[in-house]
This record gives sequence, structure tokens and C-alpha cells, in this order.
Amino acid sequence: MSATTSFRQAYLRARYRFSLAQVVAELLQKRWMDALVPFVVMVVVVTTFTQLISGYTDVDNLINTGREFGEFGFLVFALTLVVIGGGIDLSIGAIFALCDLVALVCFVHFKLPLVAVIPITLIAGGALAAVNGILIGFLRTRAFLTTLVTMIIFRAVFDILGQKYSQELMSGTPENSTWEWLGSGSLLGIPSNIIALVIVAIVGHIFLSRSRPGWHLTAIGAGRRAARHAGIGIEWTLFWTYVGSGVLCAIGGLFYAARLASAGSDTGLNSEIVAITAVVLGGVSLGGGKGSVGRALIGATTVLVLTNGVVRLGVVGGMSSVVLGATLLLAVAIDVHWAKHRHKAIAKLYVVPTYLALPPGQSTDEGPFKPNQRLAKSQAIGLDMVDGPEDCIIDRQGRLYAGVRQGWILRFSGPNFENREVFSKPGGRPLGMAFDKDDNLIVCLAGMGLYGIREDGSVFKLSDETNRSWNKINDDSRLRLADDLDIGPDGRVYFSEATIRYEIHSWATDALEGRGNGRIIEYDPRNGKTRTIIKNVLFPNGICMSHDGKSFLFAETWKHSISRHWVEGPKAGTTEVIIDNLPGFPDNINRSSDGKYWLALVGMRTPSLDLAMRFPDFRTRMVKEIAPDEWLFPNINNGCVCKFDDAGNVSESLWDSGGTSHPTITSMREDRGHLYIGGLYNNRIGRIPLEGSDPSWNGVESYWGKK
Amino acid sequence: MKSTAKVGMENSRACGSERQVVMMKSHVGMIALLAGTLAATAGCNKSDSGTSSTSTTSGNAAANPNSGDKPAEAMTGGNSTVDLVNKTDTELKGKTIAYLPVAMGVTLMEAWWHEIQAGADFSGMKSSVKDPNWSTQAETQALAALIGEKPNVLVVHNPNVQLLAKQLEQAEKAGIYVIQVNMVSNYKTDAYIGADWIKLGEQMAGDLVKQCGTGSGKSGKIQIIQGELTSATSLDQMKGAKPIFDKDPAIKIVSDQAANWDATKAHDITATVLQQNPDLCGIYGFWDVMTLGASEAVKSAGLTGKISVSASGDGARAACDGVKSGAFTTYYSYDAKQQGRDIIDTAKLLLEQGKTPGSGHTALYSPIEVFTKDTVKDSQCFDVTIKK
Repeated sequence: MSATTSFRQAYLRARYRFSLAQVVAELLQKRWMDALVPFVVMVVVVTTFTQLISGYTDVDNLINTGREFGEFGFLVFALTLVVIGGGIDLSIGAIFALCDLVALVCFVHFKLPLVAVIPITLIAGGALAAVNGILIGFLRTRAFLTTLVTMIIFRAVFDILGQKYSQELMSGTPENSTWEWLGSGSLLGIPSNIIALVIVAIVGHIFLSRSRPGWHLTAIGAGRRAARHAGIGIEWTLFWTYVGSGVLCAIGGLFYAARLASAGSDTGLNSEIVAITAVVLGGVSLGGGKGSVGRALIGATTVLVLTNGVVRLGVVGGMSSVVLGATLLLAVAIDVHWAKHRHKAIAKLYVVPTYLALPPGQSTDEGPFKPNQRLAKSQAIGLDMVDGPEDCIIDRQGRLYAGVRQGWILRFSGPNFENREVFSKPGGRPLGMAFDKDDNLIVCLAGMGLYGIREDGSVFKLSDETNRSWNKINDDSRLRLADDLDIGPDGRVYFSEATIRYEIHSWATDALEGRGNGRIIEYDPRNGKTRTIIKNVLFPNGICMSHDGKSFLFAETWKHSISRHWVEGPKAGTTEVIIDNLPGFPDNINRSSDGKYWLALVGMRTPSLDLAMRFPDFRTRMVKEIAPDEWLFPNINNGCVCKFDDAGNVSESLWDSGGTSHPTITSMREDRGHLYIGGLYNNRIGRIPLEGSDPSWNGVESYWGKK
Repeated sequence: MKSTAKVGMENSRACGSERQVVMMKSHVGMIALLAGTLAATAGCNKSDSGTSSTSTTSGNAAANPNSGDKPAEAMTGGNSTVDLVNKTDTELKGKTIAYLPVAMGVTLMEAWWHEIQAGADFSGMKSSVKDPNWSTQAETQALAALIGEKPNVLVVHNPNVQLLAKQLEQAEKAGIYVIQVNMVSNYKTDAYIGADWIKLGEQMAGDLVKQCGTGSGKSGKIQIIQGELTSATSLDQMKGAKPIFDKDPAIKIVSDQAANWDATKAHDITATVLQQNPDLCGIYGFWDVMTLGASEAVKSAGLTGKISVSASGDGARAACDGVKSGAFTTYYSYDAKQQGRDIIDTAKLLLEQGKTPGSGHTALYSPIEVFTKDTVKDSQCFDVTIKK
């Protein structure tokens, strides 16, 4: 019987250990997943046409198509740059045509050397676009109308100049090997303009994703007002964006001039429309703030293969525009749908329950866990003046510190702690606290990491990242939810990160997974290094150095267990479970004056959740099918404080069984004959006298001795 | 017969160093290379080697649709009528002709296509068309595709003199005969079929000068509506017409603009010109379809019959109708149907003669027929159905 049970359990554990849904959900969260639909569309289009058209993938054909792609690619880049900044540029086709003409006139009419022709052409492109830049950036005209007007003007200039020079230009170009190479040369079989495009793409990618101006541009596109408030110089950034876009058009025009030497009246005509199609097909949001060089390339490839393919198939006349339009419509529809439902899909897929069978908890009907009212009559400190003191701590002088929801550390002093002051405002969500040997207050700030606060209230950073795991899709190098810490005699800080999959506001959802999403991390101040020492822990929470300083104890909330991890001595580096059957969810652990440890139980176990934890499919269905407020959650309404020794034996517990003063108890500290009670959602810090305890004992001295 | 002809081509190609280079360039497989070299050695030793082995030809035939000059025997095709028929059959059957106009759906280009198709069908040739629909971008892409497809003959209608020049050269190097119609490129290929635009420009300008110039008692004001400025048709007509107009001091060119083959644009330009010059004497349109827009503007201004409208075009039904209705005062037809016949016949001739593509330039200039209201007969115009 027991053999079958354990086999079944082993099977279930194995089966639910890896989840495809989790992989999908975490992948979906990635920023680059925005490009998924465009990418799929591209693959479908390319595959379709390579199947339909024989010889489409021949080297010759690829080179020929590549040449077309090069010039078009520059136009798409030009537009992408502007669109990311929240604008649009309808004049790119006209600028392209004018630059083509400028290059030809310089080269053929004025017979200038190439060293002059190339810069003149690029400057011409930048100067033309600077008109847009000044109007849109400084005079704040609307991008659409402005560039529509400049498009018409530039086009007219092109027509007039074209009439003047075309006859001469059409008589042929002077011999020049470099010019020839620009137009039809290649390096290792790669067409010249593609080489240029690749270089520009790499530079552009670094610019957009790694440089300050690039981020400024994205910020402006995402929210102009917010960008202004953040102190970004919008005028100049936009101006240079348009100039950059013009230069990109000019590069395209230059290659076009070299390749075809043609200044026909329809040069670049309607190319802005095709470029817009490419940009949208690539998933660059026309609303601004979203886009990348990669997406521009995806869009450009799709459009080019599509138009080119339709022409090659010999489809009659206007049909190619129809096909292009229809594809655009379809892609936009899918993209909108995708953008709208992606978050819903993530929400449905993100919670991935696994099989978790745990030993039954100790009885609360009798024995040390029998409920009582010892906490009910606590003295309330800072009543209604604190918002969720998750942890509290008392310094050498007897002043009480508590971290609250606003991201502040409050300090209470005076005979009855009636003086409330904001000690420091480090930000984040302050959780666990400890004093180091220099009396700095070290705090776990959820959303930020591990920070220290000096006696004057100034804040310094200890660590906000650890080593990244190679096999996790979620980037786990950043600290998301640093929870509690303690400090070893050598100064090493051990702290828990409860989960790498959820933020502080949804921490309880992690319970539904029953998965080891948390970790224990060590920060060594001697070399400033941070490293993960225990992985895959089930919501590690409280951490406390043992009285001898050779090991630390940590609580795993969803596993109802306390474990010991050795940091010194023969067992250093090993972990052992000392309690595995708590009747509730363990939270913070702290030393008591009698050589034992205090433990807060944030809530008590319920048979229903215990049962549900053995049925992952049930929980999956629950998460997918009903609203979150109807989910079966762990009970974190009412818990207690208990005391256990190094062997894991629980000796007593303190309750406020109605939960009127102390629901959701997350921490407690013993100090000078009193016990202080903190709660994540409470409006006070409780204080009760501890009969028979050492009235002079306090936590800081227990760690660092008298000063 | 077939193999004889082909092997003949092999030999002569391998003797000339230029052909060798072409062969290397055009991605011929190892076997073809070997075969070519073998045949080359044989061919260079014997001057008339039309009877060597047959198995070495396939590779080259695939890589180069039309390879090289033929020896005398293959050209004449023996002595009897049956021999001649067989010879032609071999040289034409299954050969492909691809047609690339600037657009379809216009009687001019449709008429050419109709004749190409009919003539190709008759000789068992395959014909195909690609329609860039007035987009130069699409046309370069289509041409690139066609070069890849390697038809035996390529018929190209150039939107401007420069755009396709490099590609046409590339096509000939790939062993394709290239025929250009009506609008020629700066790069001249095996054949040109179409109007002699310089001569036509002289003729049309001369006629207008007679009607509007010195001694006519008219204002002498002429409007010129060019097509695409960079096309051979515009460039060359101007070349012919300009000196004629310049010679007569009474002639004033009041407007010289490009409507890019677009009737709407021609209409708009003309409407403006007529407002500024109600005494306009003549309109010189570079293409009938486009010039019809100008005629509309003349009609709207109530000046039909008072302004002399000249245009050239395909001579399809609409031309006769236009002349009769007074939309065109003088119409110059280059007879697109006949041009179409010229195209396919030239293609066949090129195939039968089997010269190396790009080895020479020939031109068949289309005779011009002049229609006026008094002389036009319905039988002078042809009908063509536009297939959609």
C-alpha cells in the first residue's frame, strides 16, 4: 500500500515538475514576444512564396531580390525611427527621390568625385528632413500633416529639378569603379547595399536599445508628457530623429542612384505607403514607443517578399496592391487582437500548479498549539499610524523600527512609544530587518533588493542582483521579492527571496503553484558579491541565525517547514529539515532570550487547501475558470506566534484567536522582557510583557554584544 | 537535327574567349563545364563539326537558352521544303517568349500581347506576360525574375531609358534575346521595334508649324504635353520636334510639361494652360491615351475644333473614334497590331538565325499612318479585346 502510494507520488511529482504552460507564459511575458505575430506572418509569407515560385531561393534570385531589399530597408528604418518616437514621416519617399536626384546631378552633371557626392547626398537628406524636424520638434506641428505637406513640396521640387536635369542624367553615367560597386558590386556574394543595411541595422539596434538617446526616443514615443516630466529634451530629440531618418533615406537614395542611375518621375513614389505597411507588419506600433530594428526588418522582408512574389507570380495589375492591402489588414487585426489578449492569456497560463503532498500538521486541539488569548490584550503601538508593519525591530537604545507599505521605515520612541517619526524613506516594500555590527539597519526591500540604512537615515545599496540561472526563462538575476534576512557573525548577510515569479502584490498566488519558486541568497560584504546558495525553495520567508552563529534557520511558508542550513563546521553547505509539520504557514523567525526561537505563523492550514495541493489539475482549472477573488487561497487571516528549540520541538504558542488585534501575524521580536508583534496588513504593532523572560536581553546585543 | 544544331553552337562558343567567360559566370554545373570544354576542343580543331556527339548538350542548353551562332548547315536547313519545315519546327517549338510591358489593360500593350500570343501559339512556342501595372519598382523586380526564369526571348517596354539598362545587359549575358518595343533603353539590345520617335517628332512639329506658324494667321501658341520625361519616347520626340519649332519665330511654346502618360494630369495641365492662353493654337501630345485628357479640357473650354490637337498612338478603334469626334485633329498611328506582328516575327527570326544574344542590333521602325477627320476610315483602326 505505502509502496504504491510513494510510487504514485513520485510519478505525480515528476509529471507536474516541468510545465509547458509555464514556459509559454514566461515566454509570452518577454518584450520580444511582441514580434511573434509579425515573425510568424513573415515565415508564412516567405515559405508560401518559396513553395509557389520555383527557383525563388536560387543564389541569383536572392542577390537580385536582396538589392531591392537594401534600398527599401533603409526607408523602413527611416520610418521606424520616427514612428518609435511617436511620429510619422510621409515624406520619406520624396526625400529618397530627391536624394537620388541630388546624387545623380552631383555625379553626372557636376562631375563631382564620389568623396563629395556621398556626403552631399547624405547632408541633403538630413537637411530636407530637418525641415520636418524643426516644424514637428520645435514648432510642435502635427507629424502627419506636416510631413504630408513636405512630401508634396519635396515631390514638386523633384519634378521641377527632374524636368531640368533628366535629359542629361539619362544619357548615362561616367565610369567609376566605386560607383559601379555601390550599384552592383558585392562582397563575398553579398550585395553592397545589403552590407550597408546590415551595418546600419547593428548600429541602429545598439542605438535604440543600448544608448541614452535611443531610450529617450522610446520614452517620448511611449508618453510625451511623462518623458517631459522625466526631464528629456523632447524638442532636440525629435529634431535629430527626423534628421536621422532623412539621412537613412539618403543612403537608400544613393544606392538607388548607383544601381539604376534613374531619376524617373515615379522614383520612390508611394514608397512611404509601402514602408508604413512594412512597419505595421513588423509590429512597430504606430502609436509610438514600441519597435525595434529587428521588427522593422521582419516587416520589410514580409512586404518585399509579398510584393515581389506577387509580381513574379504574374498576377495581373492592381492585384498586387490588393494582396498587400489585405495582408496588412489581416496582420493589423491579428496584432491588435494579440496585444489585447496577450495579458489575459498570460494571466490564464501564468499560474502553474504542481503536485504537493505534505505530512499533516500538528494538532491545534491540544498540545502547544492549542489556541489562547495571550495576544488579545496587547498594547497597541502606533495604532492607525502604521500601514502594514511586516517586520519590527528594536535598537540598542530601545527604539522601535517598523517598515510600512509606503516604503518608509518608521521609528517609535519614548516611554510608551508615543513618538512616531519617519526614520528613512528607502522605497520599495520594506520587509525583513536586522542590525549589523555597526548598527546600520539592513532591510529587505521587495521590488528593490537588499539595502542598508545608516543611523542618520541615509540609504545605501548592498545588492540588487544575483547570478542568473541558465535554465530559467524569467530573468532571475534581479531581486524581485527579497523577504527576510539575518546576518552571520562574519558579516555575511543571508536573505530569502520568496518567489521569482510573483511581485509583492500577488505573493499569495504563489501558494497555488506549490512550486519551489524561491531561493536563499548570500551577500558577502567582504567582496561585495551576491550569490544564490539554495534554489527551488517553497516560498522561503523568515531567516534567523542560530544562537551559535554556525547555521541559519529558514521557514518555507507553503511547505509548513523550518530547515537549518549550515554555514560553518563539518556540515557547512548542507541543509536539513527540523520541522515539517507545522499547523500553519511559517513567516519570520527570531531569537528568543532563552536560547530558543520565535516563529510567526501568518495563517493556519486548512484541510481543503491541503487536499487541493494534491490536485494540480483542479487548481489549474480553478485559476483558469473562476475569478481570482473566488480562488481557494491559503488562510492568512489568523495565525499565532510560537516558540521552538534547535531540535524543532515547539513548546508554546501565543494567540489572538479572534484575530481582532493581530490578524496575519508576520513577525515578532523579543526585547527587554517584551514581545513585539508585526503584521503585513495590520494597523499597529502589538506589545505584550513576557513573564519569566530576561528583562535585560535584547536582540542587537545577542548578535553583536554590548557596545 | 536538334542535336546537330546545338552541338554546333557549343563549338563556336568555346572558340571565342568571351563566350567562355559567360559560361563560367552563369552557374553552369561541373558536368556542363566539362562537356563544354570537350566540345570546345573538338570544335576548334574542325571548322565544320556539326556532327559530334549528342549527349553533351543538355547542361548548356539549360543554363543558356540560346547559345551561340550556328554553322551554315543548320542555318539553311537542308534543301527540301520538308527539311525547312522540320528545321523551323525544331528551332521554335517549345521555345519561350516572355513579355514585360510597363502595364497591361491598355490597347497598345494588349494589342502587342495579342499578336505575340497568336504568333507564338502558331509555332508551338510558349508565351507569358508579367504586369508591373505602371510601377517601375515592380518592373525591375519582374525583370529580375524573368532573367532568373531564362526564357528564350524577352520583350521589354522600358519606362525610362536608364532604369532597366543594366538588367537588359544582364539578360543578354544570360543568353536571352532581348527585343525592346516603342520605348528603348540606353542599352541597345538584339532588336528594337517601334516608332522612329525623332522622325515622328519632326513630322508632328512640322505639321503643327504649318497650322499655327508664320503665315497661318494664328497665335502660334503651342502646348507640349510630354509623357514620362525620362522615357525614350519623350526624349526623342523632343529631339525631333524642338528644332522644328525653334526654326519658326512665330511659334511660342507656352507650356511644356510632363503628364507622365496620365490623362488626368494632362487634363489638369491643359485646363490651366487654356485659362492663361485662350488663344492657344495647337496641342502636341506625346501619347493618344494621355492626350485624350487634354482634349477633354479643350472640350470643356468649348474650344473643340479651334485648337489643333495632335497625338500619336496605337491606331486602335478609339483612335478612329477620337479623330471622328474631333478629339484629335491629327492622329499619327504606328499600328500596334502590326508592331505586335513585327515583335513575334523578329523573335522567331532571332531564334531561327541562332546568333549569340547581344551580338548585334537591329531595328524595325514602324511606318506612320496619319488620320484626319477627312481621311480616316473605320477599316484603318483595329479592335482588340482586353482580357482581364
